[in-house]
Order: sequence, then structure tokens, then C-alpha cells
Amino acid sequence: MDLDLEKQIERTIYRAALALDTQQWNDWFALCDEKFEYAITSFSPEINKDMIYFSGDKKELKGLMDMLPKHNTDHSPLHRHTSVYTIDVAKNGETATAVSSVIVYQNMLDGQNSHLDSGESRLFVIGHYHDKFIIKDGMAKFAHREAKLDNRRLDKGSHWPI
Amino acid sequence: MPPRNHKNWLATPDIEHISSECYNNYEVYQQELEHIFSKVWIPMCHKSEMPKANDFRSTQIAHRNVVAVNHEGEFKVYLCPLVDRPSGNGISVEGLTELHSGVQHGGMIWVTLDPNPVQSIDEWTAGAFDCIADAIDTEEMEIFHYHKAIIETNYKLWHDTNSEFYHDFMHYHNRVTGFNEAYFARKNIPFANGHVNVSSFTVNYEEYEGFEDRGELSFPNLPPNQWYMVDLFPGFNFNLRGSAYRSDSVTPLGPNKVLIEFRGYGLKKDTPEERATRIEHHNSIWGPFGRNLHEDLIGVAGQGTTMREGTEVRNILHGRHENSTIHDEVGMRHYYEEWGKHLGVTPMNPLAMLEQNDTVIAAE
Repeated sequence: MDLDLEKQIERTIYRAALALDTQQWNDWFALCDEKFEYAITSFSPEINKDMIYFSGDKKELKGLMDMLPKHNTDHSPLHRHTSVYTIDVAKNGETATAVSSVIVYQNMLDGQNSHLDSGESRLFVIGHYHDKFIIKDGMAKFAHREAKLDNRRLDKGSHWPI
Repeated sequence: MPPRNHKNWLATPDIEHISSECYNNYEVYQQELEHIFSKVWIPMCHKSEMPKANDFRSTQIAHRNVVAVNHEGEFKVYLCPLVDRPSGNGISVEGLTELHSGVQHGGMIWVTLDPNPVQSIDEWTAGAFDCIADAIDTEEMEIFHYHKAIIETNYKLWHDTNSEFYHDFMHYHNRVTGFNEAYFARKNIPFANGHVNVSSFTVNYEEYEGFEDRGELSFPNLPPNQWYMVDLFPGFNFNLRGSAYRSDSVTPLGPNKVLIEFRGYGLKKDTPEERATRIEHHNSIWGPFGRNLHEDLIGVAGQGTTMREGTEVRNILHGRHENSTIHDEVGMRHYYEEWGKHLGVTPMNPLAMLEQNDTVIAAE
């Protein structure tokens, strides 16, 4: 067991949370492999199906970040509270997987009534990150992230990755 | 023209209009539950949500719990006071009151709380689905998406976003992919019972950076990249954008609160690759993290804020006459004419007539 590598993967997950919270997209992309793929998913007991709410690769995500400022969006910042639960490094040391719990709070800015709502924090979504890493030259980079949400109720919310 | 002062602002307009009281009054809301939602046909869910025998799916209409059950391929709907799950397999229907129901228009389960409906489902929908019937009824459809939102706004404001199309100016995606001559020539076509559909045009998806043409996976009998919309009174919307189909349904929770449920569909015969593409196309615009849906919700949330109960009554103009083309308010006028008939009021002054109706009832 490579404890240094596990520690590095844990730090990478936390750095990603910080980069996403502060919308420093390039900092996030720097933690991701060129073949990185991302998805937001959920299981619906209502229709008894696994669902994909969003998906894209690194190129598509970069394009999205360039386009979103042209859209109308809710600008309430999101804060991700992440706890890394498990890290499993493959025997050959070339890949790893990790599961983290994530709770996302929305700090209201563009609320229903911004005079009243702004500054208030609300629970936005809960779920788990299921991450896969590729390890090259002792460096772990995100190869795949599935943000698996428990929520199926998503009100006026967010264009941004979770 | 000088700017309008407060007196001008409140004066009765000399063009078609409705009162903001239609959107924010508790008595109006109660009347809507009694005279509209308890009477009309409601598309409660899709049959693919209950694929196996004994599967059930529950919902709530006008505060009454309702459950649809798959009886070996025959779908029936019941009033069910104690249903505590959104879906499942195995529910006793003994002692439950069966409601009038049917499966139509692309496999939707339709139900009415009215014990003596005066119209069949076909008579109620009145031809509004004809424009997409060949696309949604040729092959069996299958649900792949469900999510919901609760928004502090009136349910009709959500339906309005699908009736007036000038709010398209707020969608960056629609501005770059759609604003051409064919878009502005789209027609709003009214049907009996307050329904409207919007004729199609070719969407240029490739004009949005990162998007590609979507013609390859069109629904059956649908030319590539077409976009049809059916607005069904009082708050149900069916949207076909070539490769993916969406339905929205509203459950009013108060005069200024609505539950909106969003569903996405592909074809049951889809290969895994085809399904993945349809889901991606659906999500890119209509998903909870898609380009347009979030913008629509921001829009109606803002309207709900400015028209909440206690705000000054104002007039909402429905006066655009543009040969029934896309920004003509013919759809809005048609909807509110029907709405007024159900409540026995004029949308221009709904409370005065509700009070008058109450006085007549009291005198009787």
C-alpha cells in the first residue's frame, strides 16, 4: 500500500473541491487527465431507473465553461463539503479509484427575493463522488468523475458542474 | 410619448389583457383545483414507468392521492388515500375507487377525477397532438429521465413560458440556433379546450459552439432537427426536439407555488448507443444542468416574486397580433379565455366576478 500516493489522491480530491467552489475552472482542469470524463447521475425510485443528468469530456467541459457566461444563470455560490471515504490503488500502481461523500450548500445570492434571501445558505444536493484516477510518473490525475446525486428534486439551481 | 405615470400604469388598457390577480389569489387557486384540476384529463405518468405486472405509480391531483397500476398490461387508476411511495410493485386495490383513465398520445396514462367526464381523452385533447402523432405513436416510447422542481410561482406562469415565445430572447442557445426567418414564421395554432400547438422549424444546433447536428436520430416520421410543442390546458407541455421528447406536468401547491415534473423519453427499441445520444441531446438543453431549463426557471421565479399576493394589481397585456406567428399572443388569449370559462370569471377582473358568484350562491 502506497500511503504517499493515497495521501496525494486525497489531496487532489480536496483541491478539486476548492477549485470548483471558487469556479477556478483551469485549476480543476489541471487536476484532470486529457481524457477526463465527467457525469452527474442519479437513481430515480419514481421511474425505477438510473439516470444521467449531465455528461461531458474535458474538451466539452472547457467549451461549456467558455459558453456559460453568455447564459442567464443563478449566481449563488456552491460550497462542496467533501469527505474521502475510500481510496483503492490498483496493484500495478497505474490507476486508482476513490469514493467520497459530498454535500453541496448553496449560498443564496440570486434568491427568490434577493433582499431577504441573499447571504443565507441552503442545502443544495447530497451524494457521492465516484472517482477514477490515472497515475503517471507518480502523479494521480482524474480520469473519470461520477457525481452521483441522491436528489431528483432540483429547483432553480445551477448550470455548473457539481 | 411621455413616460407613463402611476395613474396611466393602472388605467384599463385598450387592448387584450388579464389581471395579475389570476396569478396570486388564494380563492382563485381553490376554484382552479375544484373547477379545473378536478375536472379535466390529466396526463399523470408514462406507461413505461410501470413496465411489469403489478407495478404501480402514484401522484397527487388537486390534493388527492392517485395511483396507476399495471394489471398484466392493462392500466387502471384509483383514488388511494394511503399511498406512501412514488412507485413500487404490488399494491392491493381492494376497496379503492377506480377512476376514468386511458393510455393515449405516446403511451401517457390519462386520468380524471371527474366521476362523469363529459369528454373522452381524444375529445379533450381535440387534435392538439395530431402534429406529432406519427412521431410519438409509431414506435413505443420509453422514459429515461425524471426530475422535479418546486418553484415559488403560479403554475400558469410556467405554462405561459410555453405559450409566449418572446421569452426565447432570454435563451442564448435559442438566439444563436433558432432566430431565423423560419423561426419567426412558426405558427401558434389554437385547439378546442384551451390547447395550443406550435408549428415546427429547423433548428441549427451546429450554430451553438460545441453542439452538432441532431438529424440522424430523429423520431419516426419526423424530418431532421424539427421542434414541435404541444401546450395542453391547464398546464401540461409536450416538446419534441427531433431526437428527444419531453413532457412537463404541473401540480399547483398554492397560488404562488408549483411542483413541476420533467420527463424525458426515447424509443423502446433504441440501441444503448442511440439511447446515450438521445439522453445527451435531452440533457444539453432540457436537463437540470442543461442550457435552457435553468433559464426558464429563473424567469418564472422572478415573475412569481414580482406578482406575489399583496403586490399591486396590474394588467398583463396580451395584445400582440402578428398573424398567429411565433410571438403573437394568440396562445395566451386562447388559454385565458378557456380558463375564465372554467371559473366563470373574466381574467381581466377575476375577483369581482368570484365575489359576484359567491353573492348569487348565498342568495340562493
